[in-house]
Amino acid sequence: MKTIIDVKGLKKSYKGKEVIHGIDFSVKEGEILCVLGPNGAGKSTTINIITGALRCDSGSIRYKGENIYNDLLGFKSHLGVVPQDLALYEDLSAEKNVLFFASLYGLKGEELKAGCRFALDFAGLSGSANDKVNTFSGGMKRRLNIACAIAHKPELLIMDEPTVGIDPQSREHILEGARQLCSQGMAILYTTHYIEEVEKISKRIIIMDVGGIIAEGTAESLKAGIERTRRYRIGVESEAQFDISGLLRVDGVSDARFKDGIIDISTDSQVENLNKIIAALIGSGLKINNINAETSSLETVFLQLTGKSLRD
Amino acid sequence: MYKFKQIFILDIINLATNPMWLFTAIGFPVALVLVLGFLTSGSYGNIVSAYDYAGVAIMIFCVFNVATFSSNSFMEERIKKPNMRLVHSPIRHFYIYFSKILASFVFCIVAYIAAAIFLVFIAGVNYGGVDAWAIILIMLLGNFFFSALGVAVCCILRSEGAANSILSLLFALFAILGGLFFPVEGLGKAVVAISWISPGKWILAACLRIIYDSDFSMFLPVCSLFIILSAAALALCGRFFKGEDYL
Repeated sequence: MKTIIDVKGLKKSYKGKEVIHGIDFSVKEGEILCVLGPNGAGKSTTINIITGALRCDSGSIRYKGENIYNDLLGFKSHLGVVPQDLALYEDLSAEKNVLFFASLYGLKGEELKAGCRFALDFAGLSGSANDKVNTFSGGMKRRLNIACAIAHKPELLIMDEPTVGIDPQSREHILEGARQLCSQGMAILYTTHYIEEVEKISKRIIIMDVGGIIAEGTAESLKAGIERTRRYRIGVESEAQFDISGLLRVDGVSDARFKDGIIDISTDSQVENLNKIIAALIGSGLKINNINAETSSLETVFLQLTGKSLRD
Repeated sequence: MYKFKQIFILDIINLATNPMWLFTAIGFPVALVLVLGFLTSGSYGNIVSAYDYAGVAIMIFCVFNVATFSSNSFMEERIKKPNMRLVHSPIRHFYIYFSKILASFVFCIVAYIAAAIFLVFIAGVNYGGVDAWAIILIMLLGNFFFSALGVAVCCILRSEGAANSILSLLFALFAILGGLFFPVEGLGKAVVAISWISPGKWILAACLRIIYDSDFSMFLPVCSLFIILSAAALALCGRFFKGEDYL
């Protein structure tokens, strides 16, 4: 897959304070790269730099290998931006909004109409094309916000927290839409702080905080990266009596507790010892009813990396 | 030009579909001229009626206020968010602010001409007869300058609210000092001398001389000044406009 956008050493300061500290990442054709981060992590600033709305202090942004500043307008014509805020003319109809914003990308005549139809269909708003935006629900406005960014069929779509404050149906529609666009070859840079969205749509994830990238990888690799302890919860015959010390002798096991027919075992995730644990239990004459391995969620990873303290 | 045309048309639609702005552009000058004309009708003679004076002076005051139209169309909250997309789209930044300037100029000119025609028929306001073209040209150039000024101040202050507050105060001062609400000639020599500080006074004097004396001595200086100031205001827009202010 071709690299669509390649960002290297991006830095940005405001009033003498560095807010983006030399970040690197790239997005390939047909890929959704999710940028996850708490408020104030620097996601929107990074996006505004990539869209050319803000200038970086140093670093490079290359679109298909070319520095975007060599031909910024040319680059922007291949770019679609879904801003975090609803950027719509409320007194105009949905169709007029899409037609207007698409015309800024040079679309005219039949091409413009076709682009508009595609975008409204995509957003599930064909039936409301002639309705004024100020009559729309929050979810419809969010979907129209996306439609206005894709009528010109950009090669790179930047979606800045596109699902803020909407109902689950609209959110699902947007996520499914992002997957569809990606399958058609569009590269998508998707920022969010909804962790469940990241796991649904993206294979590659960047976690940003305080202006830098603090982790990058797939959901699985990120989870594996922070998991030092694996937990097993084993259900046994409830009336059974059991001496826990046998389990503590198994290689890697750091803790084991037995209560009400449940054995909770903490073990080093790097040591493959499940067979030995089971053997120890069976050897003690216990009948095992079930075994659950607790795995970390991406949320655990996120909170562990960014901390749990509240953000402004 | 296609992209500029699209932005310009939408800016005109945004202005023309706002009932508040429509009233301010057409209803406000008409109402103000009729009220002031009625209230001061006893203070004027036969040659220049109270409606004649107010019809010219209030129109000049309205030309000042084109700056608030342009600053609103440039940065008003309702417009600001969708305008953010313009910053992300492949268009020159010049298009963004120049379109607002031009749209406010066209909208106000059409509205003021409609108001003036209405005043001619309703109150018989004298705009100079065969010399009316000169009055219209002064108003056109003034209109463009103040439109550019409103956007330039917005670009510098990065806030429509701050720009409007400062400009409204300044214009009210200029209007009072320049005798746009009532003539200052009766207030003594000192006040008359000070009144020339106000651009309102120059424009009013230029218009009244053309209308009643066919005296064009101030016509060219006033027009030239507007052209130079308009160029300066556009240069300020280019210097201070930052797309990020929409973000």
